Amino acid sequence: MLTIVRIHNELLGTYGDRGNADVLAFRAHLNGIAAEVVDISYLEILPKSADIYLMGGAEDAAQALSLTALEKGGALASAISQGATLLAICAGFQIVGESFTDGQGQEISGLGLLNVRTSPGEKRFVGDIKVKASFLDCEFTGFENHGGRTLLGEGVQPFGHVLVGHGNGAESVDGAISGNVFGTYLHGPVLARNPEFADFLLAKTTGQSTINYVDELAVEYAHWRRSVTK
Amino acid sequence: MPNRGLKRAVLIALLSAWASKTFAKKSGETISGRVLLFLRPGAISELSQGRRVLLVSGTNGKTSTTRFLVRIIEQLGAVTTSPSGSNLSWGVAGSLLKRASFAVLEVDELHLANVITQTQPEVVLLLNLTRDQLHRMHEVKRVADRWREIAERSPNTTFVVDIDDPFVNYATQNAAKVLRISFGGRSHPDGAVCPNCGGYIKWSSGLYECSCGLSNKSYEKLLVAANAPERNSILANIAGSLIGAPWLEVSPSELERTINIKSGGVTATIRLTKNPASWTEALTGINSHQVILILNAREVDGIDTSWLYDVDFQILQGRKVVVTGERALDMQYRLHVQGIESIAVENFTTAITQFSSGEHVQVLSAYTAFFELSR
Repeated sequence: MLTIVRIHNELLGTYGDRGNADVLAFRAHLNGIAAEVVDISYLEILPKSADIYLMGGAEDAAQALSLTALEKGGALASAISQGATLLAICAGFQIVGESFTDGQGQEISGLGLLNVRTSPGEKRFVGDIKVKASFLDCEFTGFENHGGRTLLGEGVQPFGHVLVGHGNGAESVDGAISGNVFGTYLHGPVLARNPEFADFLLAKTTGQSTINYVDELAVEYAHWRRSVTK
Repeated sequence: MPNRGLKRAVLIALLSAWASKTFAKKSGETISGRVLLFLRPGAISELSQGRRVLLVSGTNGKTSTTRFLVRIIEQLGAVTTSPSGSNLSWGVAGSLLKRASFAVLEVDELHLANVITQTQPEVVLLLNLTRDQLHRMHEVKRVADRWREIAERSPNTTFVVDIDDPFVNYATQNAAKVLRISFGGRSHPDGAVCPNCGGYIKWSSGLYECSCGLSNKSYEKLLVAANAPERNSILANIAGSLIGAPWLEVSPSELERTINIKSGGVTATIRLTKNPASWTEALTGINSHQVILILNAREVDGIDTSWLYDVDFQILQGRKVVVTGERALDMQYRLHVQGIESIAVENFTTAITQFSSGEHVQVLSAYTAFFELSR
């Protein structure tokens, strides 16, 4: 059984990213993989034994709160070191970095799972985004809505190279990847817009080399968004 | 109107509205407001003088509540309003072109502070604040902060507010005159974090009480309402009563923003839906086997469709669902992920033909599509 943990959706659910968990479970089922989505709220203890962890976008205060809960116990770091996969979007991506700036302008330390640092930018990036993925031969589309500027440190590679939109707001890249940890600014939700990415995560997590099922509607949807995002 | 410059601007604005109606067959409301503000940027303030102004704002229910509040205030005298839901500054300016001793105006959430400053309203009715058009609003808290700032600076305005919404409660915490109303609580999609202190709010059956003191137990009036339209009708009556209007009964269905269309023997009831809260509310009212969903993503619809995943569409399971609109495929795939299959078609006209004569179809429609269908 593939366990997908949706972390703090009541805090990290402002921009529809809860759908990533639903899409993953849905595509797992289509491929004959049993999967369940477990919601873990701010008040609950994060399990260490899940396979995939998902974090979404949030407002400033919610982002800070989520971090305070995740700092306790180190469950997320422990799960990742044991091979679990993490996908963190927008505010979630910032939380798992080395540091980011909160709503009051204070720089705070993140979880340190990705060597990236985020500071506030002058202009907020709002609109459609398209990136060339760095780990798959594929273009991903999504929607970005954030004011952060994220700089990559040593040991991480970009999630993608920006074709349309802004992403990290530096070096024409979006997001960051290190090992099993994926961070990006793409909402949409990103796994709904880009089924190849969902399947990539499923394959990586389950150890299956190929994901066979072709969901025509997903293909049509992804293709259409790619063709109109320019 | 003592000022000649203002008088001239008003005349030109009225003329432009007339030309727009006569030659372009449009409503003329937006153009007149735009022309007026172009010629006379301070016109809203000037035209508000000597009138009794009531404003209505909130994420959902603004238009229908404003319409009902107009009926309530009309019991006292002539009222000017903007009937088409044109709620940005130029819509407000356009509405003030009409002579009437009362003005009841719907105001966009981000324009509220400006319009309060310019119109110095007697009463401001705040219904709710949830996520909507995030490409423009960015964050719910950001809008609440703007409201809070203007509320603190408006000592002569009475705010009538539904404090079951923590953002509305927070926005008016420091206002000089507030009438806080609770309907015994309800859930809020963005209510996990206290907008006042940033702490985690523990909710219990629609009630919240933060350690910083923000709570919906601190009401002046506790009332009962079955749903959003009923709630809004009560709030409008309370706002009206503050300036002496008698209580007016309304059936909640009157407060729903719906239109009916008949085509090829099929009757369609079309309801406006525009964000997670309003879709969730509208879906609870689905009882027909036949459903059409229309999704657009233009500016006023919200250009990001990610929020579709924040809406539970389970009630559509087993019904015949047809999707259309510019973003029909976003909707079709979202439903698909929840195991609900639908048919996607070009446009509303084709959608209707998917049903048989005599059938009744419930239609939930995005903002821009709703306006096109109501023409």
